[in-house]
Amino acid sequence: MEFLGQDGREGFGRRANSRFVLILLILVSILLLLSSLYSAQASVFKKAREGVLDATAPVLEVFSGPVAYFNGIAGNISDYFNVLEQNKALREENAELRQWMNEALELRKVVGAYDALQTYRAPPAAQPIDAYVIGETNDAFARSMIVNAGRAQNIEAGYAVVDNRGLIGRIVDTGARASRVLLLTDVQSRIPVFVEGAAIEGLLVGNTRGKPAIAITEGVDEVAFAQGQRVLTSGAGGVMPRGLPVGVIDGEHGDDIVVDLYANYARTRLVRIINYEFPEVGDTLSPDEEDAGEEVAAVTEG
Amino acid sequence: MGYRAEHLLSLLKTVAPLLLGLLGVIILALPIRLFEGVAPTPIIPLVVVFFWSIYAPAYMPSVSVFLIGILQDLLTGGPLGLWAAVYLVTQFVVMSQRSYFLGREQKVVWLGFALAAASASLMLWLVMSLMSGALLPVGGLLAQMATTVLIYPLFGIAFGEFHRRILVEA
Repeated sequence: MEFLGQDGREGFGRRANSRFVLILLILVSILLLLSSLYSAQASVFKKAREGVLDATAPVLEVFSGPVAYFNGIAGNISDYFNVLEQNKALREENAELRQWMNEALELRKVVGAYDALQTYRAPPAAQPIDAYVIGETNDAFARSMIVNAGRAQNIEAGYAVVDNRGLIGRIVDTGARASRVLLLTDVQSRIPVFVEGAAIEGLLVGNTRGKPAIAITEGVDEVAFAQGQRVLTSGAGGVMPRGLPVGVIDGEHGDDIVVDLYANYARTRLVRIINYEFPEVGDTLSPDEEDAGEEVAAVTEG
Repeated sequence: MGYRAEHLLSLLKTVAPLLLGLLGVIILALPIRLFEGVAPTPIIPLVVVFFWSIYAPAYMPSVSVFLIGILQDLLTGGPLGLWAAVYLVTQFVVMSQRSYFLGREQKVVWLGFALAAASASLMLWLVMSLMSGALLPVGGLLAQMATTVLIYPLFGIAFGEFHRRILVEA
């Protein structure tokens, strides 16, 4: 490639690209890095991220259609090779789900009877907002997705995001028409969870691995759990509703309780953002309910 | 062609590599999940920065590199300045070794790119590990960098043709 050397072997020191500017910009970057470490949520940085989100969302939206199409083709090719096994697995799963359906119909009747009781007050219903995934960070350490709904759809930072399998993350940045979802596997992700049937309350801490771990905040005396127990959001901290399915316990890895997520990020395309108004604690609660509220507060502080 | 149009065209040529780099960042943010997300998306901006820093630094001023990095930081939502620093340090190292690379075989340049990618990975891993307070797993990063290094010859040829036919001659 001799032609490429034709604008000279001048190296450093040219006016167009001086060593001074380069070193200056390296210093500026490092300074930015240090300042963003200490104030990641500073309004300037947040504004800039949201601005870029808004600016790139139309471009991403245009491209995400064809990209999904080609992902589908590539996915289909691998599907052809195991269509028989998949069919068998689906038939088995279908039979199992039919049993669950019958059980759910029975339970609906029971719940309906409870609903009719005067003393029962239904928890506030969440208002879901549906959105498509138009972008995702293909970065080794940052795990997030960009969805095409933002402040125009009343989305705020902190809202839980689920897909048809379970919780996938929470909103961190909101642009006018696009938002960023921080996935459960990101190093910055901390989600309050509990283990069903075990006295474990904790934080689900992301570590860029496919399976995040639980850091325990309550019930530390004796941690008894079994593989396959369900992990759900605990609602501590007061943003996410309680009881969103997160995953199942996969086992113990060193000191950590590792969670096998329900979410399959390679297949997430349509998501639901849960706009949840937390019930106000204090004015109309009965005494035992108030205790429950305090417990939640204690968990949040701890 | 009038003077103004010519001026505009030359400006467009100067920022063409910058636009390619920005496009690479956009590609990095697309939900490309080939084979169930097993194949990672290559870091094309790294190739752009490396290529033009070696062969035609006039087309890749440090300000362009900085802009590419900042856009990537803002779009991935990571710590601001990380990718900017990685790309700028890559440019610094590459340009200090420029006289060695010029006129060498493509194989040698490819090896140089692999080294640049490795040092960029090391930087990324160190900073992110420091930030999260734990040694992070390197598997995903290595897979992504390996993919980037593997596709380098392809993009090297494409960028070479682009540079010669469009930026220099046209």
